[in-house]
Amino acid sequence: MVGLATFTIVSNADVPLYEANLGQTPKREDAAHLQEFVAHAALDVVDERRWETPQTNLKLVDRFNDLLVYAHVTAGGTRFVLLHDARNEESVRAFFAEAHELYVKAALNPFHDADSPIECAAFDDRVRALGRKYFP
Amino acid sequence: MASRRAGAKTYEQVGLAAWQATEKVNAELFTLTYGAIVRQVLADYEDCVPEANAKLDAMGRSIGGRLIEEFNAKNEQQRCVDFRDTCETIAGVALRMFLGVGGHCADWNADHTSCLVVMETNPLADFVELPERYRDLSYGQMLCGVIVGALEQVQTRATCEWEKDALRGGDGFAMRVTLVGQIDTPYPFDD
Amino acid sequence: MSAPPTPATLPEEPENPPGVHSVWIINKSGGLVFRDVYADIAPIDTNETLRLASMWHSMHAIAAQLGPELRGELPSETDGFHLHCAQTPTGTKLMLTCAPGTFADHDAGQAVLRTVRDLYADYVMKNPFYEAEMPIRCELFEKRLRDAIDAVNGAA
Repeated sequence: MVGLATFTIVSNADVPLYEANLGQTPKREDAAHLQEFVAHAALDVVDERRWETPQTNLKLVDRFNDLLVYAHVTAGGTRFVLLHDARNEESVRAFFAEAHELYVKAALNPFHDADSPIECAAFDDRVRALGRKYFP
Repeated sequence: MASRRAGAKTYEQVGLAAWQATEKVNAELFTLTYGAIVRQVLADYEDCVPEANAKLDAMGRSIGGRLIEEFNAKNEQQRCVDFRDTCETIAGVALRMFLGVGGHCADWNADHTSCLVVMETNPLADFVELPERYRDLSYGQMLCGVIVGALEQVQTRATCEWEKDALRGGDGFAMRVTLVGQIDTPYPFDD
Repeated sequence: MSAPPTPATLPEEPENPPGVHSVWIINKSGGLVFRDVYADIAPIDTNETLRLASMWHSMHAIAAQLGPELRGELPSETDGFHLHCAQTPTGTKLMLTCAPGTFADHDAGQAVLRTVRDLYADYVMKNPFYEAEMPIRCELFEKRLRDAIDAVNGAA
């Protein structure tokens, strides 16, 4: 049972494109701020680590108490960050790979701009379905 | 649907042969290029959707007026004998040749002057999701323009509009093509 | 008393060169939009070519009224040259003149016109800067057509 899985997409220009809570735990007001803080702090680490590997998947990049931060970077520099409370490498990797495909499809929509939030409902549905699949 | 010409190939076979003989481009390049055009037209008309629809239609007409020569040149085909033949040719041959998709005619009216050209898929609309503010955008309007523009060059005046548009909640893609009349060729007798 | 003026001798007819002499394209309202010459034949004045083109167009229209089966493919032969013509469904006429005997039959002439039509579709109609029904000034078209006709003339 996964309690926490918060998925964030941040563009190359540091614009948040998408955010979804895929876990079971309802967001607590104070926790939400903490999670956001941890996720954004991890972006700095992501920016360092992304040059160390040709892989898109950066695996575990940071941790804060019991929060684990996983990251994935597209070739275009868009960063996927997953805040998680369990070590779950394989599921996270698979989740990122599929989310990456969904992201590419959303980015191919001619009405999507590179630095504007992804507001497409179908994308949201599909990401949430992925969340249920990999973090049941 | 089988051709009504005795001994002739079906429209589908003719279309597939034409598709085989046609140079191809990458589908994503094509689709994204079309998307970029639509975005640019919307930007040019400051998001005024009716004007953008009209512009896409006009662009399509001028493409159709040119493409008809290509279609005729690459299809050693007899003239279409009637409007029914014309629509079957559009659906079976032209859509396949230029877009690589199959199509068929449906829902003819009693006197055979109006039908639905149903497309199996619409490659123009791959990846596309209309944002709420463009709810009334006829995204593939250029295709309607192409058909009207091409028919105009072969002395056929017709109208063409999307009747089913999956981007606007329809089930699938289908265009209503309606015959308006024949265009008489003016001969320059008083030359 | 001066001798009666001798009738001016006609300039020596240039020898009738073999092969395809010229290609003409006439738009649907009878205007000549393209003409190019591929052999050493007597030059014709531009106005004359325009007049000839529209005359041919009109004759064609009349012939079509008389016998629709002639539509688009009116063969025409003189001692000096043969003329092959084809019409696209859009009303554009493609024409070529050649020395008698260049083509074994009507179909061989039509085959060359089909090549012209393919090039016309590719390099004229698909050229975004070409305005429909206007004179054709497309270098690529001229070049490809010249290559194609030279190939026909070389093979003949």
